Amino acid sequence: MYFLRTFTVLLLFLFPINAEANEVKSWLKKEIDKIIYAYQNDGLPNENKFLMIEQTINNNFAGSGIAKFVAGKSWNGASKDTKLEYIKLFKRHLALSISSMMQGYSNQNYDLTYSSYDERNKVTLINMEVFSNTGSIQVTWRVKKSKERFFIIDLLVADISLVVTKRSEFNSMLKTVNYNLGEFNNILSAQNDSSYQKLIN
Amino acid sequence: MNKLKQLLLSFIIIFISFNINAGASDDVKTSSDDYETSTFDDEIYDPLEGINRAIFGFNNVADKVILEPAAKGYKKLPSPVQSGIGNFIKNLKLPLVAVNQLLQGQGKNAAESTGRFLVNSTIGIFGLIDVADDLGLEQKEEDFGQTLATWGVGDGFYVVLPLFGPSNVRDTTGMVMTMMTDPVNAYAVNQGESWAIPLRTAANAVDQRSKIIDEVNALRDNSVDYYAAVRSSYYQNRKAAIMNTDDDILTPLPLISIEFE
Repeated sequence: MYFLRTFTVLLLFLFPINAEANEVKSWLKKEIDKIIYAYQNDGLPNENKFLMIEQTINNNFAGSGIAKFVAGKSWNGASKDTKLEYIKLFKRHLALSISSMMQGYSNQNYDLTYSSYDERNKVTLINMEVFSNTGSIQVTWRVKKSKERFFIIDLLVADISLVVTKRSEFNSMLKTVNYNLGEFNNILSAQNDSSYQKLIN
Repeated sequence: MNKLKQLLLSFIIIFISFNINAGASDDVKTSSDDYETSTFDDEIYDPLEGINRAIFGFNNVADKVILEPAAKGYKKLPSPVQSGIGNFIKNLKLPLVAVNQLLQGQGKNAAESTGRFLVNSTIGIFGLIDVADDLGLEQKEEDFGQTLATWGVGDGFYVVLPLFGPSNVRDTTGMVMTMMTDPVNAYAVNQGESWAIPLRTAANAVDQRSKIIDEVNALRDNSVDYYAAVRSSYYQNRKAAIMNTDDDILTPLPLISIEFE
């Protein structure tokens, strides 16, 4: 009897988690396909392809939250306008980084292989296996729910977190400008221009 | 005999420097008021940053001029040829992988690696075909750097090695130990075929690089500080390898608020 009760409680507990993981998986697949579709659409000029991808990324990534995290201690001392400008630039930077990476995956098959739920942090993890002719690479998406919507909060390629790498990279550059976010915005803007040119050409 | 003494002395010096440098590495501070993110090491201990950046610049040029074009050319080979070369190189590493698994107390994994080596070297025609994978003998990587880390040796400071790329004091020592103890290398030297060692290293570099062409380009083209991005990536990747995290749930999670999206 005790076993049956425990089993039922476990089942009731696990079912909603599993249902949510599956819901996240199908949502993510739809969004990834949008990006891949943009790349595979040969009729679209590269500028338009990027705009489509940027829109998809901005709609689905927790861009502002990630921007704030990546800015680290420089965030506190910045004015509101500087912060807004930084968030705008960061979102474009994020879109450029992800679309540049996804460009390489656009002609390869992928499979959303496994999903799990991190109960402590309320984060769903979806593994994506990207297949090439000689092997595969694993990408993990970290997704969080907020106000009945899903947001991607991080992306891991071969155990390397995009967000943690960006934070480390930005911190190194921010150090050179005494953690002045306004000055850093100029550097980020120049980097975005250079990345954009490389991506569309 | 003198050479043996010199070798032992070098090891003692390296191991003493571990304790000094490992301690310094642990001293890295992070701010506690930066949005509860103090668990993240924003600053990796990099006292040789100036020299490292110079070597990194050289490596980057070497990569663009030699390694990346070679890797792109390699990618054009028929897939079975690429797989065959990759499998052959991986198979040669297995004896030392098994030794390191034993040194880390992973008896089951060591037995699996030994099984892999025997199956692939025989049925798999000198390791060209990965038959063992189909038999459920999974490929796992372990090296002396990971073994030293498992024994509690700290990272030491960050170093960029000419041509070999990002590393730290511990992993560099691990690499030297690998070079010195590798039975395949020893056999090549013994047979008077030392030329095979750099060839093997170069083939391994091209094979590995060919697998991450897009990822490296994405990182290089979109980084405000490519050096820092590679340094962080190296540390994250090594940390996961040392912890043997198959489960990404163990990789540190950034605390990100999404309230104001």
